[in-house]
Amino acid sequence: MKKTLIILLLTIVFFTSCKKTDEEFSFPKKPITIIVYTGPGGLIDITARKFADVASKYTEATFVIENKPGSGGIVAMKRLLQLPADGYTLFACTKSNVSKIVSSGGEAYIEGIDWTAMMMADPECVITYKKQKINSWKDILADAKVKNGDQIWLGPANGGLDHVTALKIWDETGIKAKWIPYKSGGKARAALLGEQGVAYVGNPREVLGNDDLMIAAVSSAKRLVQFPDVPTFSELGITGLDNEFMWRGFVLKKGTPPDIREWFDELFTNVNNDAEWREYWERGGIDVIYKSSEEFTKIVHKDKEQFTHYLQKIGIINTEATNFMAKIATGKALKFLVILFVIIFLIIGFAVNRSPKRKYLVRIMLPIFFIMLSIIFFIISFSFPDNEKVGPSVVPRLWIFILIPLNIYLMFDIFRQKKEIEHKDENKKIVFGFIGLLILYLISIFYIGYFISTFIFIFAGIYILGYRKYLTMLIISFGWLLFSYLIFYKLLYVPLPVGKLIEMFF
Amino acid sequence: MEILTNMAQGFSFVLGWQPLLFIVLGVIMGILAGAMPGLSPSMGVALLVPFTYAMSPTLALILLVSIYIAANYGGSITAVTINAPGTPSAVVTSFDGYPLTKQNKPGMGLGVSLVSSTIGGFIGTIILILFSVQLAKIAVKFHPAEYFALAIFGLTTVATLGGRNWVKAFIAAMFGLLINTIGIDPISGVSRFTFGSVHLYDGFSLIPALIGLFALSEVFKQIDEQNFKSKKIELEKTKWPTILDYWKLKLTIIRSSIMGTLIGIFPGAGATIASFIAYDVAKRSSKEPEKFGHGSLEGVAAAEAANSSSVGGALVPLLTLGIPGSASTAVLIGALMIHDLTPGPQLFNNNPEIIYGLFASLLIANLVMLILGLFGSRLWVKVTAVPKKILYPMIFAVSIIGSFAVRYSFFDIAACLGFGVFGWILRRHNYPVAPIVLGIVLGNIAETNFRRAVMMGDYTIFFTRPVSLILLVLALVSFAWPILRNSMSNKKRLQN
Repeated sequence: MKKTLIILLLTIVFFTSCKKTDEEFSFPKKPITIIVYTGPGGLIDITARKFADVASKYTEATFVIENKPGSGGIVAMKRLLQLPADGYTLFACTKSNVSKIVSSGGEAYIEGIDWTAMMMADPECVITYKKQKINSWKDILADAKVKNGDQIWLGPANGGLDHVTALKIWDETGIKAKWIPYKSGGKARAALLGEQGVAYVGNPREVLGNDDLMIAAVSSAKRLVQFPDVPTFSELGITGLDNEFMWRGFVLKKGTPPDIREWFDELFTNVNNDAEWREYWERGGIDVIYKSSEEFTKIVHKDKEQFTHYLQKIGIINTEATNFMAKIATGKALKFLVILFVIIFLIIGFAVNRSPKRKYLVRIMLPIFFIMLSIIFFIISFSFPDNEKVGPSVVPRLWIFILIPLNIYLMFDIFRQKKEIEHKDENKKIVFGFIGLLILYLISIFYIGYFISTFIFIFAGIYILGYRKYLTMLIISFGWLLFSYLIFYKLLYVPLPVGKLIEMFF
Repeated sequence: MEILTNMAQGFSFVLGWQPLLFIVLGVIMGILAGAMPGLSPSMGVALLVPFTYAMSPTLALILLVSIYIAANYGGSITAVTINAPGTPSAVVTSFDGYPLTKQNKPGMGLGVSLVSSTIGGFIGTIILILFSVQLAKIAVKFHPAEYFALAIFGLTTVATLGGRNWVKAFIAAMFGLLINTIGIDPISGVSRFTFGSVHLYDGFSLIPALIGLFALSEVFKQIDEQNFKSKKIELEKTKWPTILDYWKLKLTIIRSSIMGTLIGIFPGAGATIASFIAYDVAKRSSKEPEKFGHGSLEGVAAAEAANSSSVGGALVPLLTLGIPGSASTAVLIGALMIHDLTPGPQLFNNNPEIIYGLFASLLIANLVMLILGLFGSRLWVKVTAVPKKILYPMIFAVSIIGSFAVRYSFFDIAACLGFGVFGWILRRHNYPVAPIVLGIVLGNIAETNFRRAVMMGDYTIFFTRPVSLILLVLALVSFAWPILRNSMSNKKRLQN
């Protein structure tokens, strides 16, 4: 009886496990995260959300959007490459990320990413203000010749796609102009409407909703369906500018298993052919073009070369340290310098502590701290490229030149007048205790997670201050945990850390 | 007349049970998000955007602007009660709001901040409705040289803030400006002072710095001064402002509201600068300037009226040009786009129901905020009665989660802690910390516009453009005057 039961059990186990290997491919088993490298509301965020929306027609899978802004996408790409290549993480990516990779020297990202699917492309175009006299391409060309280098073009950040496109246009047409960068395309468009420049480089979608803006020329092979009156560059007699576009797509980490890759390829093809998807984007003058991995990777490599060329040209990358000061301000020499400054600072502190002025220790050390910080920043500022009229070092140096004299004045003031309200060192020990507790708390969040550490922290904090009603303390600590779990973790999707140690065991 | 019919239509869209429910919900969420140090108005709006994707565009906008408005007020609650401004613009509210709490009059600060916020919000909205098209034309003409001059004008408020410690106040401001240059240079794209760390590519985030400098350093200071050993506040005795108190503030509120709206329309300037400048002007034109910083009702009113009215201003370029004037309105644009609406002048013609519905809901949201705030204030004031031994550890916990929520980064928590300790040391030695925040907020505007202006012309451009020249002269006067007056009164004191 016992034996038959065991055999029966074994067969059941055997068959069920066989069944499992047969159905091995049951992807996905959990929600797929799409990492977006900007905050909610940007174009790429909308792309990801619209994709999740349309994709739900073709798969049971759920998609979760995770916004991970910072450093133009470097933070988000880092996150992608840290996670396993199991297909549960997509990264919504744009051509700007390639520019960022190039300018931050992160070649490894290009190789570590599986360039899965390019979904759409918006051709770059030159946008002008209709009510301004200079608004057609011909006008721009003529005006540029007259102004001879003083014509003003507006757009988003230096070294980005729009700037590089402008540089290329100037190269191909032989005109000279100035690029004035703004924090965002929108602010640059506002300046165009204020007639502070003649042209703006961006995508066709940006003229929608405002009749005062017009497209002077578009960099695509054919005229755009939505803007039939807008000439292409080749129609205007300019070659080499018929394929400048901003692309957006989705990428996986390299090394994702082939069957999961196929699953995604099928999904991207389906979404690409979806009528709702196409209509939504095409209305805004955006080409819905699906390019699979092979072609996409080629495009990315070509982009990389172009960015490298232009970013070198305008001095964002590979600026060799030429003079003595610049050499001190980079790499190992800089580390050495910072350590040297810390040592000097400590020595001065020690000396003051031994002198009759020891009562004024912190009051004297604060101006010295500000002065030394200024000097370090001043030295570092020599390593910035200085090929512009007002380079990146001008303004920091301006603040430094105000900060140093103010602090010197203050130092004199301390030695001159003796009376100032004295602080009593009442409870400094408890404050230091709290600072130590907070540092421990921070470290423990990293290892044992937010919830356990916070519970201990609140309990310990209240205890240190001398409160002793344990029941109240428990209720408060638990109450806060519940609140942070429900509001931050569940409602607002703030990924409160679970902790490295906990992750290892579960 | 056309506006009246349009507005009547707008109200008819909003006065249903569903839109009203959304306004109430939005206001409640906004007040809570604003009061939470770490959740700024723009984050409050951003966090809710994903939820609105499934709603109709009008409802989505109603919800988002209600949050936006209420969050601007919510920031003042914690500024008044525990000196931990929930939003950058509420920093100014804490200058006088918190001293009121210390004098056992938290009700005065909370009441004045609520009513000035509401009136400011109303005035801002009405200016938006009546003059948005004309104002937008001025906003786009504002040249980089003029932005720079405005930023410098904002910086000179430090002279007023500092009082006798003006040198230290300026050092703090310069320190803020200098650390603001850490990160990718917004003009040339090269990285500056990052020491090769990815965390510093975007510089220090404002929110963790704000939480550290205010909330954490305040608690360190209180513990240092042993203020946690119970001292019960008699809540029943808490005074609330009377109608007469409000009536005395009418000029301050109206003036600050108009200034707030006007500063709000310039893309990038925003609520924080508006409240600093309004506070400065209020102090100068006050009959009792010596009360400022020690619990002046005028100070609270000026700050709150200005930052709430700037909401209306910031919506001007958004609705008329499709250009976001602040971080929060940038999120609103995304919300419009996901609903397939392109913000810009055509929106007025194509979807008037959305625009006028939005106007109507702005007015109603302000009213709802007033009603909820009046009830809520009785509740907020209880915060001051929580035993300090429990309150302080809780403020730490809120600060930590708040600075983490900004970018989900450990670095930000550490930065918040660092700013907290540094802020405490500075305050022990009479350095005000608010100028650091002002420096961080203004640094970027000052620098980028300074360089843009020079790139467009040359260094003389600041003096050849009349508006920029006037602003710079005003800045010089407002910088020099308080210092001169101070040194004169110092001399007098010494002679006596």
